[in-house]
Amino acid sequence: MKRLGLAILSVALITAAAFAHGNEKHVMGKVTKIGNSSISVQLADGSVKTVNVVGTTKFLKAGAAATQQDLKVGDRVVIHAKPNGDALEATEVKFGSTASAEKH
Amino acid sequence: MKIGKLAITVLLVLVCIFILGLVAFVQGGISARGRPSALETVVARRLRKLGIPSSARNQKNPVQSTPEVLAEARHHFADHCATCHANDGSGNTTIGQNLYPPAPDMRLPETQNLSDGEIYYIIHNGVRLTGMPAWGVDEPDLDSWKLVIFIRHLPQLTRDEISDMEKFNPKSESERQEEKEEEDFLNGKPAAEGGHHH
Repeated sequence: MKRLGLAILSVALITAAAFAHGNEKHVMGKVTKIGNSSISVQLADGSVKTVNVVGTTKFLKAGAAATQQDLKVGDRVVIHAKPNGDALEATEVKFGSTASAEKH
Repeated sequence: MKIGKLAITVLLVLVCIFILGLVAFVQGGISARGRPSALETVVARRLRKLGIPSSARNQKNPVQSTPEVLAEARHHFADHCATCHANDGSGNTTIGQNLYPPAPDMRLPETQNLSDGEIYYIIHNGVRLTGMPAWGVDEPDLDSWKLVIFIRHLPQLTRDEISDMEKFNPKSESERQEEKEEEDFLNGKPAAEGGHHH
């Protein structure tokens, strides 16, 4: 009886699952500045976009795991970021030519 | 007469409570936004525990862990599970974090402390009123038992293993196109104007 009551209460409290659309943004351009916790990128239209780096940000150089220290000003970069308020937070930072990596 | 007035008062109070409950429900009652309360989480976990038969809970994994089995399970996880659970089992994906309840971080004790039988039961049968589907078809479901081995390995998963898994993550045509555009850009081709969303 106690179990049944608990089950009814739980079912009343738990709502059905639903999928949500993502809002991840991709930023492609050349690195103009690397801060302790941000990367500034010049886009194709000339504007500069700054993306914050957080503890969970993943860095990939030519497809292999890397660190923020491997990234240099002037590198071509593709950043996957999610909005956090007015700012962008990087989830993944890709840089380095994959073509040259494949030749090795 | 007094009893009649009391009954009407009680009835009115109940109607008011019902209307307030209905308004709260309509204003967001089925929304998947937000996070389950601590009470909801405790009750749901308790219910999940009660919902797994003890015979299933005490089942032993019939599959031995070997490097080959682990690699097979890792690729299977990347293909079937990572969309919600992420390759590293953190649940940190767009879908996983927007489910109600959100996909759990399976590297943590809340998952790792479950028995092999409990993890297998959840993979094989799913969990009602969550985003977890029932994956198992056949019995014995060795693929799900192999996934149990991989889930046990999650806290020790390496960056190289995660990179390997990325080759097995399912991708839509537009995602493949986006990847190609990004690769072309990294390889020196001009960038398309502006960024894009997905």
